[in-house]
Amino acid sequence: MSSNGSSWLFVLVTHIKRDFLINLRSLTDLVAIISFMLLIIILFTFGIGPIKESLDIISSAIIWVGLILALIPSLEKTLNKDLENGWFDQLLTSPIPLEIILLSKSISYWLMVIIPLILSTPIFFILLDIDLKQTPWLLTSMTIGGLAISLVGLIGASLVLGAKRGNILLPILIIPLMIPILIFGVGINEAIKMDEEPINNLLLLIAFTLIYLVISPFISALLIRIAIAR
Amino acid sequence: MFNWLANPNRFSKLTGNLQLPLIILSTTMILLGLYYGLFDSPEDYQQGDAVRIMYVHVPSAWLASFLFFSLAISCIFYLVWKHPLADLISNAIAPIGAIFSVLTLVTGSLWGKPMWGTWWVWDARLTSMLILFFFYLGYMLLSNAFERKIDGSKSASVLAIIGLINLPIIKFSVDWWHTLHQPSSILRMDGPSIDKEMLLPLTLMMVGFSLFSIYLIITNVKTMLLEKKCEALILKLNLKEFS
Amino acid sequence: MLNLNNLTIKRGNNVVFSDFNTSFKTSNLTVVIGKNGSGKTTLLRTIAGFIPIENGHMSFKKVDMTINKNLWVEKLIYIDTKNGLSQDLTVLENLATWVQMKGWSTSRDNLIKALRSVEMEKYSNVYISQCSEGLKKRAALARLYFSFIFGVEFWLLDEPSNDLDKKSIILFKELVTNFLKINGTIILTTHDTNLFKSKYEVLDLDLLKEKIII
Repeated sequence: MSSNGSSWLFVLVTHIKRDFLINLRSLTDLVAIISFMLLIIILFTFGIGPIKESLDIISSAIIWVGLILALIPSLEKTLNKDLENGWFDQLLTSPIPLEIILLSKSISYWLMVIIPLILSTPIFFILLDIDLKQTPWLLTSMTIGGLAISLVGLIGASLVLGAKRGNILLPILIIPLMIPILIFGVGINEAIKMDEEPINNLLLLIAFTLIYLVISPFISALLIRIAIAR
Repeated sequence: MFNWLANPNRFSKLTGNLQLPLIILSTTMILLGLYYGLFDSPEDYQQGDAVRIMYVHVPSAWLASFLFFSLAISCIFYLVWKHPLADLISNAIAPIGAIFSVLTLVTGSLWGKPMWGTWWVWDARLTSMLILFFFYLGYMLLSNAFERKIDGSKSASVLAIIGLINLPIIKFSVDWWHTLHQPSSILRMDGPSIDKEMLLPLTLMMVGFSLFSIYLIITNVKTMLLEKKCEALILKLNLKEFS
Repeated sequence: MLNLNNLTIKRGNNVVFSDFNTSFKTSNLTVVIGKNGSGKTTLLRTIAGFIPIENGHMSFKKVDMTINKNLWVEKLIYIDTKNGLSQDLTVLENLATWVQMKGWSTSRDNLIKALRSVEMEKYSNVYISQCSEGLKKRAALARLYFSFIFGVEFWLLDEPSNDLDKKSIILFKELVTNFLKINGTIILTTHDTNLFKSKYEVLDLDLLKEKIII
């Protein structure tokens, strides 16, 4: 049964469904994440001043930074909960590889936390008065980059699994890993702003996301096995 | 070979004989290198005397990168063969590598002041070095973040390996970002073509720094071995008291 | 038959078991006893494959369990004090995801039957966060019912009788008896030495030689 491809897909769907139900019942978390992002943007604006010219220069960067920062506090919980309630122990008695299950975890985090957050960003576009021709690019780049954020976040959450001050440690460990996502993601919009082809940046962002799609379930599974063996 | 070396007693014996020659050799080379570098080498036609900071900056940058590579390799050894000595070596390397990356950043900004007129420019190399520093920091923090030290070792080792995979990507993206925002108007740090007379002190400093860091790593590992012994002794004494 | 040969297990720097040998016969119930910290849970988690062994090997029906992990875990149900239940899901949802996670597919009827086996069917739509410890334990033990459908051969239960009331213990014992009848093998830990009256084997970890701490 375990080597059967269709049953892996079945398991993937099962776990996404489980995470969907869990997320559905903690919708307040999502509201908190969106409000946090809004507040980050407000902080930036207060720091810079309401001058349109200076905001124009960094508006897409603010949105990207806001996206990354707003997601970080919720990352640790995604795995820590399942370690504490013993779900990971049960997963190890499943014939399906842990890697597949973790892949489904980051996909469901992407679908149920990051995509709704991105869907709420048009409010921020209005607040920051972002050029209309940029919005489709921003949404695309954030959607793809969001998957990369979710995959990097998966690694981060498994690194601090069971650590004493995991919540404080996590940002230090994963923000360096987020830098390429930010650079290529913002790069797309910079290119649009300067009327250049954004395709290079987009391809690099996709390539980077694909690299993480391949490696992060393996790294994360290794780390979770380490955490369970403790 | 590794397994043979991995015995703590053998390690101590073998490296004990190495420590004195290492410290003598490295100090001599660094002093000689400093002499040649500061007094007996030409100045750069563009940068003048400021170029002399290169004799500290370049070896530290090289060591900071190389030590991270060694750290990750040692972590792979630890994860695959599970020998505690490999973990001790990684733990010994981390603070030294971190100090070298800080030294690179400090000398870099000292060099930057006369060149660019400001302490810090978001130069691609320096920025990458700053990120490398955060990887060292992350490694050290994570390996101490668990209730038992040994619990953190494995996770931190994985982090070092993630760093090894990611640093080239980050380096590439930072270069990409740099060319995107600052089209080659700034002097780059590797700018000056290296004169033959500059090569001698540079090599001396490179080798001197490397030998010195080997000396430091050995000392660090030995200290940690002794610490472990002390802990075991204390534990034994405590157990005896109760029974 | 499950064999443990020359097993050495370390937690951190502590050697919990060194050169440990034992075997568990098929269709037998083994009760592992021992004082706190004697390594009951560690032993169970090692057999389940969560803790890598330092030395020695484990085999189930002469097949090495550490190499053929999938063959082993398919035949295994492991339940410990943490239960592995999500707070945000109902009793029924938890059971359904668990069954699917095991790679099995089953009907709603069977899920209800499983809950009935521990008298949990009226709680099926209650969230785990609203359940008491005893109810949670019963929700976890409902999984055992699927052993009879999907050919599970081994139970590893860490303190299953904790938090259970008298009636639930009787239900649990019934499951145990039925499982032994279909040649199932059970290893469980408990502090309650009077849990079983029928024939069972005892593995007393306190009788092992004193642990060496490095």
